[in-house]
Amino acid sequence: MLKSLGLAGAALLINSSVMAQQVEPIEYTLDNGMKFLLMPRDEQPNIITAGWISPVGSVNERPGITGVSHLLEHLLFKGTDSIGTTDADLDQQYREELTEIREQMRAYALDVQYKRMHTGEIDNPWDPANDTDELRDLRAQMTEIQDKQAEITIKNEFDSIYTGNGASGMNAGTSNDFTIFYINIPSNKLELWAWMEADRLRDPSLRELDAERFVVIEERRQRLEATATGKLDEQFDSMFWVASPYGTPVIGWMSDLMAYTEDEIFEYFETYYQPANLTGVIVGDFDPEDAESLIESYFGTLENKRPKADPMVTHSVPLLGEVRFSGECECQDQVEVRYRSVPFGHPDEAVFDVISDLLNGRTGRLYKSLVEEKEIATRASAGNQSNHFAGSFSFSATPKDGKELVVLESAWYEELERLKTEPVEARELQKVKNGQAADTFRGLTDNSSLLFQLAITEAFGGYGYLNEHPQRIQKVTAEDIMRVANEYFRDNNRAVASYTRQSNGEVKLITMEDVKASLPAEMVDMMTQQLSMQLEQMKAVTDAAELRIGLEELDAAMESGQIPQMMKTAMDYMKQQVLEHIKELEAAGSTPASEGDDQ
Amino acid sequence: MKLSNKVFSIGLAMGIAGTAVGFDDMPSHPREIQFEELVFEAPIASDFRHELDNGIPVFMASSHEFPLMTIRFSFKGGSYLEPEGKAGLAALTGQLIRSGGNSAFGPSEMDEEFDFLAANASASIGNTTSGASINSLTSNFDDAFAMFMDMVKTPRFDEDRLEVIRSQMLEGIKTRNDDGLQIAIREMGFLMWGMDHFEGRVATKESIESITIDDIRAFHKLIFNPSNLMISVTGDYEESEILAVLNNTMDSWEAGPIAGDVPVPTHSFEPGVYYYEKDQPQVQVLIGHRGIERDNPDAIDVSIMNDILGGSGFTSRITNSVRTREGLAYTAGSVMSNRVEYPGMFMSYFFTKTPTTAFATKLVFDEFDRIQMEAASTDEIEVMQNSAIETFPRTFESKGATMGLFISDERTGRASDHWQTYRDRVRSVNPDGVQRAANEYLHPKDAVILVVGPWEEIKAGNADSEADPERVVTMDAFFDGKATEIPQRDAESMKPKASTSKD
Repeated sequence: MLKSLGLAGAALLINSSVMAQQVEPIEYTLDNGMKFLLMPRDEQPNIITAGWISPVGSVNERPGITGVSHLLEHLLFKGTDSIGTTDADLDQQYREELTEIREQMRAYALDVQYKRMHTGEIDNPWDPANDTDELRDLRAQMTEIQDKQAEITIKNEFDSIYTGNGASGMNAGTSNDFTIFYINIPSNKLELWAWMEADRLRDPSLRELDAERFVVIEERRQRLEATATGKLDEQFDSMFWVASPYGTPVIGWMSDLMAYTEDEIFEYFETYYQPANLTGVIVGDFDPEDAESLIESYFGTLENKRPKADPMVTHSVPLLGEVRFSGECECQDQVEVRYRSVPFGHPDEAVFDVISDLLNGRTGRLYKSLVEEKEIATRASAGNQSNHFAGSFSFSATPKDGKELVVLESAWYEELERLKTEPVEARELQKVKNGQAADTFRGLTDNSSLLFQLAITEAFGGYGYLNEHPQRIQKVTAEDIMRVANEYFRDNNRAVASYTRQSNGEVKLITMEDVKASLPAEMVDMMTQQLSMQLEQMKAVTDAAELRIGLEELDAAMESGQIPQMMKTAMDYMKQQVLEHIKELEAAGSTPASEGDDQ
Repeated sequence: MKLSNKVFSIGLAMGIAGTAVGFDDMPSHPREIQFEELVFEAPIASDFRHELDNGIPVFMASSHEFPLMTIRFSFKGGSYLEPEGKAGLAALTGQLIRSGGNSAFGPSEMDEEFDFLAANASASIGNTTSGASINSLTSNFDDAFAMFMDMVKTPRFDEDRLEVIRSQMLEGIKTRNDDGLQIAIREMGFLMWGMDHFEGRVATKESIESITIDDIRAFHKLIFNPSNLMISVTGDYEESEILAVLNNTMDSWEAGPIAGDVPVPTHSFEPGVYYYEKDQPQVQVLIGHRGIERDNPDAIDVSIMNDILGGSGFTSRITNSVRTREGLAYTAGSVMSNRVEYPGMFMSYFFTKTPTTAFATKLVFDEFDRIQMEAASTDEIEVMQNSAIETFPRTFESKGATMGLFISDERTGRASDHWQTYRDRVRSVNPDGVQRAANEYLHPKDAVILVVGPWEEIKAGNADSEADPERVVTMDAFFDGKATEIPQRDAESMKPKASTSKD
């Protein structure tokens, strides 16, 4: 019965959804250039989700100030002359005093402490544990002023005003290429939002900079350094993007986090937070006319103090050869193969999205092939990420039962070959399109999700994308997929990251079962036969010295790449057995003289 | 983007806009803004409640904004019903119901059909309740729902798929010592609830390997049957049609046993400092003890107290002192979780660099002291009261969430006027009540301080790096400097490893 539904039903489904799916916000642009998208909907009564976005992120940074977009985002919650302090003048004075000390400390660190690091005397020029007497003294002065400043600071007033007025979910996010601020508010509090947001855009006080710097450093540790794969991922990103600022971690490199001054951060604010650079979005239960008049009154008075900032300048250079990165961590073994794809809005973006869907999920090709048929992976997935100015496409997988990562990698290349050479069947393609059409609706049912989509697409070039992209998906053909697969998934356009579990000093004996599990199914029989034959020959040897020479040859062959990587477990097993046999021979007193030669 | 580079002065911008007020006339502080009153009446469960012919409750709320609809099944029963030695059975059964096929289709065919219909089907078994749901375009809901019902009633439990999930779980448990937070949460569970109670229990290689298809079939039958079922329907549908469809399907579904009740934990713990050695640049700290029951008459006082202490983000005291003032952590706060059948858990948490672990811990204990010794200011209490009252409509934000709440309320016997009287009860909270709640329900002296990280450095504190002697703290400040080492556990068996070598 269900099968008969077939393509007729699907065709119907697509038509109706594409016709219905139109996002049409009210557009409202202030004379200062700040644009607003208003989307009244009463499905969630009494609630508004409101926010604004600037198309600035880590791609706008340079060495020395990496992470500044994100730290600035944090500091924009510290208040203004009106919010967060009982005495704006005194607060200003303390901030100036702190700036002076901070600059002295910075100059000192870059000179004396960096030299001490370069000569190997200390490991980290910024760590207070490495302070000299001069630095300790400056730090104590700083603490003293900060403690005085704390007496006139109303901590977190920005948050408590919102909280006491029934706002919730106040937050902000910084990415490679946008920074967004958002909150849920009761329907009657739209004016509060306009007041608070316009106030901080007009005149933010970047107070409590030093404490916040340490907060961000803890955030870096929490999100990255104290996670299983965080540090390796960061390095892999930076290798993959070569010259492009997409290789800069959004949270910033540790050395830079310690270095910037309040002036540098404020300069960054002035550059990228001019009203003409911003888009506001309001979604939910509100009257658009009331909203327009509030917007006009509050945001209309913001001034553009500078010309519009340049977007990212340094674009990525193509990869000219395969990049390989292997690391050890306290993590599951895993492999990722990553390619350059296309930026947001490129005609091929929709094709990459369709390719991801063909590969993913339990009916996707990767699960069927790597998990079910070949039984080499426990998980395998792929995905495209089209950022504002550049994109990437990744395959990643975790092995089953200690399979070598190269086995997973080869299986991925086989899937790629299929994409490159065989047209996708009509039903398989239709399945993906059906899912995409339904997901388009699903993504619009929630205020916050709608706000994010409107804000980000508008920041990247226009919310019209939300209506056009689903249509582009529906138009993707089997030929498009083959063309894109051939054009982008090339051997010299890829970077491969392999992570394996740190041995932790524990020696685990390899068994024949491990060897079998590590090999592709079709090789198991052949290899085990060959291996047992070699083991028998080896056992017959009675000279330990001869065996040691054999071991060295084996190592050399592995290192030089004569033996393929996927044989590694098998070779490790062989070595283990040889060593075992050597021990037996030596314990039995055979050729003790050779031992001395070898040690 | 169509934004222009034009730069206007304030005056010009206002002239063109022609609005009545300029910024000078704006309120100088948000407290001066006048807001219209927001009238909100909490929805009443009985207005949405229907019953099928066999007595199964169905909560329905339609909306026609998008051509999508959702049916959710909620069952009493969860991992607390796992037989001894079978930890992991609940998770495995939930996944296999969804991925193991149904009576009409093998597993990959069923998946194909759902995907082709663009329908999202799910099934899962949680701690105390279980569920299954189907969401699809209204236009092909009949087909999707028929497949779904077949899956829920008569799952095929394909053995190959069982092995796939089993191997995923076996790979998954190998990573249990990789992440410090995961270790901290697990060990806190062992300390609070014991390794046998379902709240603390974790699956092991042995328990996962021992699970058979028969175990799974029996566990499905125990939970997924009409005796445990309540239903919600939301989205774009016609009420009478859906009720008829549901009645039809229920006809042939045999009622089974009602799942037993949730067991009360009997484990007790020794207060003190506990550490789990791990070489990492940031330390996870959890400070906890048992909390309160959901229907405790003091629950609202306790909740406002915890909001002030650490439960309300930036506005709460722990976040303020540990994060904002001292910059010691990105994440810091406290949570008072409750359970229906027995007291839940109070827990404060933060993640900080090794040398400042003791200092941050002291700041948290200072806040425990302060909230117990001094009455909170009415201002502080008012912010939290207003927040609870004004965010109240968000409890009913979406129809799906509201129907889910009604199902949970009915199942757990929550007072029928609970939501109608909620805001008045919040309004009645006063400084005395908050202080009393702090003294009665916070037990710093009987708490567990659990840290995961390099112990010798944690213990030594921040004397090396802190310029201000008043901020220097070592772990000797707590429980007379006594600390218990938690043995390193084998990731797969959770048994202590023979040697506890540092590496």
